[in-house]
Amino acid sequence: MQASPSATGASPTAFQRRSQLYRRHLDLDAAFADYEGVLAVAAYADPRVERALAERLGLADLSTWPRSGCAGPNAPQWLADAGRQPPNRPNKAVAQEDGGLIARLSEQEFLILQGLEADPGLFAALQGNWPSDAAESVHPLPHADSHCWLALSGALASEALAKLCAVDLSSRSFGLCDVAQTSLARVNAIILRQDLGATPCFHILSDASSAEYLWDALVDAMREFGGAPVGLEALRTLKLRDRPSESFSPTERHPRIQPRKAP
Amino acid sequence: MAFGLLKYGFRKRYPAKPQFTPSGTTLKKRYDVVIIGAGAHGAGIAHELAKSHGIRNVALLDKGYLGGGNTARNTAVLRSNYLTEEGVAFYRQSLKLFQGLSNELNYNIMLENRGQLTLAHSDAAIRSFRWRAEVNQHLGVRSELVDRQTIRELVPQLNLSEDVRYPILAGLWHADAATARHDAIVWGYARSACEQGVELHQRTAVQAVEVTNGAVHAVKTNRGRIACGCVVQAVAGSSSIVAKMAGIRLPIHSYPLQAMVTQPYKPLLKPHVSSPHLHVYTHQTSRGEFVIGGGSDPYPRYGSRATLEQKEALSSAILQLLPFLAQAKVLRQWAGTTDMTPDYSPIMGLSPVRNYHLDAGWGTWGFKATPICAKTMAELVATGKPPELIQPFALERFYRFEQINEAGATAAGH
Amino acid sequence: MKLLNCPLNGPRNIAEFTYGGELRPMPDPAATDAQQWAEHLFFPDNGAGIVTEWWCHTATAYWFLAQRNTLTDEVIRTFPPSEVFKQGRKLAGKDGGEKS
Ligand SMILES: Cc1cc2nc3c(=O)[nH]c(=O)nc-3n(C[C@H](O)[C@H](O)[C@H](O)COP(=O)(O)OP(=O)(O)OC[C@H]3O[C@@H](n4cnc5c(N)ncnc54)[C@H](O)[C@@H]3O)c2cc1C
Repeated sequence: MQASPSATGASPTAFQRRSQLYRRHLDLDAAFADYEGVLAVAAYADPRVERALAERLGLADLSTWPRSGCAGPNAPQWLADAGRQPPNRPNKAVAQEDGGLIARLSEQEFLILQGLEADPGLFAALQGNWPSDAAESVHPLPHADSHCWLALSGALASEALAKLCAVDLSSRSFGLCDVAQTSLARVNAIILRQDLGATPCFHILSDASSAEYLWDALVDAMREFGGAPVGLEALRTLKLRDRPSESFSPTERHPRIQPRKAP
Repeated sequence: MAFGLLKYGFRKRYPAKPQFTPSGTTLKKRYDVVIIGAGAHGAGIAHELAKSHGIRNVALLDKGYLGGGNTARNTAVLRSNYLTEEGVAFYRQSLKLFQGLSNELNYNIMLENRGQLTLAHSDAAIRSFRWRAEVNQHLGVRSELVDRQTIRELVPQLNLSEDVRYPILAGLWHADAATARHDAIVWGYARSACEQGVELHQRTAVQAVEVTNGAVHAVKTNRGRIACGCVVQAVAGSSSIVAKMAGIRLPIHSYPLQAMVTQPYKPLLKPHVSSPHLHVYTHQTSRGEFVIGGGSDPYPRYGSRATLEQKEALSSAILQLLPFLAQAKVLRQWAGTTDMTPDYSPIMGLSPVRNYHLDAGWGTWGFKATPICAKTMAELVATGKPPELIQPFALERFYRFEQINEAGATAAGH
Repeated sequence: MKLLNCPLNGPRNIAEFTYGGELRPMPDPAATDAQQWAEHLFFPDNGAGIVTEWWCHTATAYWFLAQRNTLTDEVIRTFPPSEVFKQGRKLAGKDGGEKS
């Protein structure tokens, strides 16, 4: 079930939880929306323009979107018992039935990302179930206040990331559900690939205290490729589509690469 | 002049008079004092032993060539704006001695009293500069907090824009700071020592140290065994390795420190400028080159290879301060192995082995200490007692948990 | 840039790592005097040659061990600490001292 924005035009200052980036969004005249208690940017511009942007190169701020995590020797078992599917080795993620993602960050540590369509309320159920007994050998790692969460989408996303990150994130070496924990624009980041329909998408989690710096660095790196910020709605519409829209073909539209002439 | 040069050029023997012990001179079986390491420190101690104490039966040994260690690699910044009483008293004395050194050695050390400007890019740095200025003034060192207007007057070339990642907020001006020609110091000292009877033996590596009943009595080199009454080790980056030969452990990690110079320009920057926050410092040498240095490598290593990462880091940092250097070409780059102590203070004085003296732990800041270290270490050799000025720097302080924490004052100014 | 092979994350730029010091046994606090503490805290081996040392991959805060030649800067091998600390790293407590 998809949570729809109940009150578009919501004001960020009316919410207890705001993204560290909300001033950036205000500067961009963002339309905020209330997703069942979660405040997020629905869009900055016309939805059709944003969808095209998101297919090409878009940056969305998901910092308020629900996420969690857990760690401990018993964490894999605990997740399995809770009906989730934990990945079986580090630096891999598994898409969950509800559209979310669970990433294994090390032998004993997991990151849980809520799907973009899912009802944020459902997530609370898992949160409420954390074991309180130390003997369970698993403890929660919420990630909600420690990290910002950005999503970089589009056919040119890995090229833009190549300017800021030494790990090769192109499709030939970084596949679906791959995870890289590395340095991005010189700050630490967890990068996960979860495509939206046919459009590549990288989730980026990084230290909340340098969120504005990272956002600016990414926006700057995207500029030469014609990328720009997009709202949550654009990502959601991509998810529903399994082929790129007619108007867009990555190689033809690449500003730097000339299409090869037929011999 | 031209004629004199021509005549000199046609002379059979070159140079007319050897300045140092001729290479190939045979080693004696015994010396009163063996100095391991012919850097500025070793050469300085040899000079002082001969001149001030009449101790001339001295061998000055180096596994490489005279002054080819860190002395050759250092950026020659002389300053005394340290933070501990012990440190300031010691370095202040050293700076005084530098002023008279050209005369004493009859060798132009090319001293330039240029002053040092250290930059603050944060409130915390301003607070620590205020503290340093107070400590310095109290101990008779010229050191003061200066504002942006004064900075602009002192160094008009600096990028004082507020639209940068780390704008310059204030500075610490240290009028006593200077630079000197690094090679001239070691050559001048060694020439004077050799003239007085000290023997300099280059390419003579100490490979073992003989200790019996807790006292040193000989060293073994690649050219044979040398008996001796007393040993001073002054080997900088190799301190742990050589001390181990005598069975002594030292509180030292060996880290590379790198630097580089640009192509020469007309004189345009007089003071030495340093930014601990950006991890970079620079001054324009008398050759016109901008010498650029910064922080140590991120992990320990023995060796003198420079890395691309450090050049990138130094370049990006210096361009924030002096953007016009964007056009400059890097002419040379290098590294030296520095012997870092946990408290950023040196180790001078007695060791657990009798008659084996330590001149070590000079890390990234020991060149400026050369004349005073030479004087005090020579006195220790001659009298067997460490002079008061260096007593706080004894190795023993680590066992007494009485470190001399100089960390605040050394970030990227050496 | 120089690469270091992280046992958890694979080969990465050396800039992603933090050096953590030599691997050395921790003294038993119950049987250690001030002199031994001083040596443990301040007097490293600082060896010239192949040494075993701690490294941390900062992006994951993952600690591991490396054998490195400090003269040539060649990394011979990196491996997880579990190879050395078979029972996990325990601080001295009831069962007395480090297991290694
Ligand atoms: C890049 C760089 C910049 C620096 N900048 C500054 C600065 O601006 N200001 C400052 O005050 N200090 C600076 N320093 C620190 C300074 O260079 C040293 O502290 C100082 O030169 C130490 O002098 P030394 O004579 O003890 O050592 P060295 O000049 O290193 O002499 C030691 C000698 O010992 C010899 N040796 C080693 N092992 C043996 C052996 N087994 N047998 C025989 N001989 C042996 C070596 O060959 C060497 O010649 C800098 C250092 C570096 C690397």
